[in-house]
Amino acid sequence: MQQKVKVLWITGLACNGNTHSFLNYPNLGQFLDNFEFIYHPIIESKYSLEEIVSNTIPCDVLLIEGSISAEIEKADKKLIDIISNYAKVVNKIITVGTCSTFGGIFRDSEYEDITGLHFNETLEVERFRKIKDKTISISGCPIHPELLINTLYSIKNKIELKLDEYLRPKEYFAYTIHNGCTRNEYFEYKVDNHQFGKKEGCMFYDHGCQAPFTHGSCNKILWNEVNSKTRAGQPCMGCTEPDFPKSNLFKTKKNMGIPANLPLGVAKRTYLTLAGVTKAFTINRLEKDIFDD
Amino acid sequence: MSDKKQQKKNDIIEASLELFASKGFYNTTIPDIAKALKMSVGNMYNYFKSKDILAKEIIKFISIYLGNELKKINEEDISTEEKTRKIVAIYFKIALARPEMIDYFLRIYLSNREVFKDGCEGMICVNEFVTEIMIYFEEGVTAGDLRDQDFFSAFGLFMGYLGGMVFLKGEAILPKPLDEYIDDISYNIYKALSV
Amino acid sequence: MIKLIEKIEGEAKLHFSFKNKKIDFVDIEFLQTRSIEKILEEKNAFDALVINPRVCGICGHAHLIATVEALEDCYEDLEVSNKAKIMRELTLNFELIQNHFKWFYFTVLPLFGYKQAVLKAALPSQIMAKAIAVIGGQYPHNSYAVVGGVVSEITHMDIIKLEQYINETQNFFDENLIHLENEDILKCESIDSLFNKKGDLSQILGDIRKNKWEQLGKSYDRFIAFGENSYFTKGKSLKTRRFTDISIEDVVEFSTQSSYAKNVTFKDKYFEVGPLSRAIINKNGLIKDSHSKFEDSIVSRIVARVLEIPQLLNHTKNLINQINLDEPSYIKPKIDISKITSSGYSAVEAARGTLIHKVNLENGIIKKYDIITPTQWNLSNGTRENQGISQKAMIGLKDEKIAEIVFKSFDVCSVCTTH
Repeated sequence: MQQKVKVLWITGLACNGNTHSFLNYPNLGQFLDNFEFIYHPIIESKYSLEEIVSNTIPCDVLLIEGSISAEIEKADKKLIDIISNYAKVVNKIITVGTCSTFGGIFRDSEYEDITGLHFNETLEVERFRKIKDKTISISGCPIHPELLINTLYSIKNKIELKLDEYLRPKEYFAYTIHNGCTRNEYFEYKVDNHQFGKKEGCMFYDHGCQAPFTHGSCNKILWNEVNSKTRAGQPCMGCTEPDFPKSNLFKTKKNMGIPANLPLGVAKRTYLTLAGVTKAFTINRLEKDIFDD
Repeated sequence: MSDKKQQKKNDIIEASLELFASKGFYNTTIPDIAKALKMSVGNMYNYFKSKDILAKEIIKFISIYLGNELKKINEEDISTEEKTRKIVAIYFKIALARPEMIDYFLRIYLSNREVFKDGCEGMICVNEFVTEIMIYFEEGVTAGDLRDQDFFSAFGLFMGYLGGMVFLKGEAILPKPLDEYIDDISYNIYKALSV
Repeated sequence: MIKLIEKIEGEAKLHFSFKNKKIDFVDIEFLQTRSIEKILEEKNAFDALVINPRVCGICGHAHLIATVEALEDCYEDLEVSNKAKIMRELTLNFELIQNHFKWFYFTVLPLFGYKQAVLKAALPSQIMAKAIAVIGGQYPHNSYAVVGGVVSEITHMDIIKLEQYINETQNFFDENLIHLENEDILKCESIDSLFNKKGDLSQILGDIRKNKWEQLGKSYDRFIAFGENSYFTKGKSLKTRRFTDISIEDVVEFSTQSSYAKNVTFKDKYFEVGPLSRAIINKNGLIKDSHSKFEDSIVSRIVARVLEIPQLLNHTKNLINQINLDEPSYIKPKIDISKITSSGYSAVEAARGTLIHKVNLENGIIKKYDIITPTQWNLSNGTRENQGISQKAMIGLKDEKIAEIVFKSFDVCSVCTTH
């Protein structure tokens, strides 16, 4: 019987959304046969929080959820000290969620210098620079459970993952949320008549959808195995990105009618030329309801 | 397409522009153009299968030409106000040096929509030109210089104004040479569009 | 002595003082705050629909519904279709149900010496999460409810899927929590009969009886609920005397020196919120019977919470039959949000009790936002003279282990409380 991989899950300033998203993983039983939590925010573990922070219990992977500040304590010990201690003994560190990766929503809470582990939005954080080469970032608000769990399996199987500039596995984060959205045709042909509450239409033009320039796999690996925000009709809010949350979220920022944020890697001239061409034509099928009477 | 063939096409386009400007669009025939170039009519049809196709190719040609000039201005590291002046200046320069081009755009393309409706839907045949204007506007708004507004309101103001001035010039109504109006016109446009 | 309570969606410290070998007072201290109310200031109104679910990872959806209703309360003349209202109530119910499963299998079992049943907590919760995702795109953290309705359209096939998920969850409940042969739990009105059934709940009830804990954890026997929908009624109950005429104006939230969490009173008194409260106010037969024998002890509290699962599953089936798919999901408000200068509030029954949101808007920008969570009600940190609900329930007990059982019977959500 193989030894289980020992994992420590520690939480800073968080809402626990990542913890609960993790619990939605369909093959949780199998995961728990292969991994053992020496501490977890909900699942029972051999050690209490007080024991975890007062000692350095042997473990293989450190998971950090929530934003980080020098002022935050867990069981009366500074979080940054707990992280420093365990960083020395683990093989890998994973920042679970946008808060621990980039600072996230709670970056604006009222503690001193709140950031992610290595990043504060796009800026690098000095404090933990030495452990950057051990870290993998799984951003998202919350994370998709499959991304975290499969990354843990890849660590167990000693697979070297290709990471992007924010240490996110390219296998999940090289895609954009736009890949796989069921509303793609409306985007392709620039049919910009979207109304909320309809299956039809693309939310990029008016309703603030950030999918074409947000990294992730939401429309490739569906949420809860059944759906995604954009498929359901809610604009993507860019929750995997360093600057989440932006503001005025349900509206597309436009400059003289042109979207301020363009699809990833697409030059302005390219976009405008394509937009100019497609806007000249009307495709009747895309102007009507899908379930046409 | 070989360089020679492309060059021949350009020659045809240039000759057509001159004839359309002097004789008028509907009065100019393919044989007229062929004669001006000392080509056989049959050979003409090798390059442009009909006058309508020629008409659309010409507008695309002009759009690319103007678009290139505007792109150079857009890519310069200068203020929005200076870009505005340069756009006005280049438009008037072309109106003076190549009057048949602007003439074609105003009197033929805009005024004979029925010729262009199939194959030049919307603004696809002037895409390159319109794209550069869009970029000028968008970058002006992003830089905080131009007021954010509906694209067509701004486009109409800019292009309508320039087209109107060139039209008046063509009708020999303007007392001064076109380039003497550049300062006032760019000032007016920038003032109207700025924040 | 100080006990750190963990795995309550965060932590809390209980400062016990003992006198004559009994707990004489408990100070409840929450250790952090994320200042979400401050973060919301100067934000566009609709941004709250994205930020507020992140108050909490297990009941964030209740915060979404509370947010959209508080914002809608700022409009004078706003139409929301019945279809959208039902969709919102469905997803809210699904969230309540998964909360209760998780609380029982993660939190309650260990209090009685059993190991957590991780997969029993996870499985029905995953099914309920799927049901929410069918309607709202994903779970946790969606913002599918917007001012004017909801963003999604659902179809007959979606409804067929939802019915299957509901049935699957009901079967899970019947096979694991309360195993009845040919009996409908919803028709049961005898608390004693529950002690003798098969199932995990009856196991726990048996342990409570064995340890003679049936009268443990009583507090003021004062209940309140403000959230009103097609299942829950608004009202307060002093023991079983119910009054429905209550106003949010009489709810006061105030800070104390000792904790980051604020206290909440209604007409200067502390009240219990949650499933027990809702069942008493709704005059549920089984809970009335439990109350007649055990008052507001842990028996009533635990049974009321577990019982909400089949109640809500059943009610959800009824709601689904009422949906008219021809109605629009979203009706665009006549006035743009940027023209709204007004205030509004909402009250929603979240898993742990009444959740209240209040918002002040100026030209569509949030000037002030207040959130009062259910755990704030139950865990208000009162004084010796005027004890909070859970404090009163713990005072007089002989040790901190038993106190922890009583404390956790309230289903504590630390993150909500320290928003």
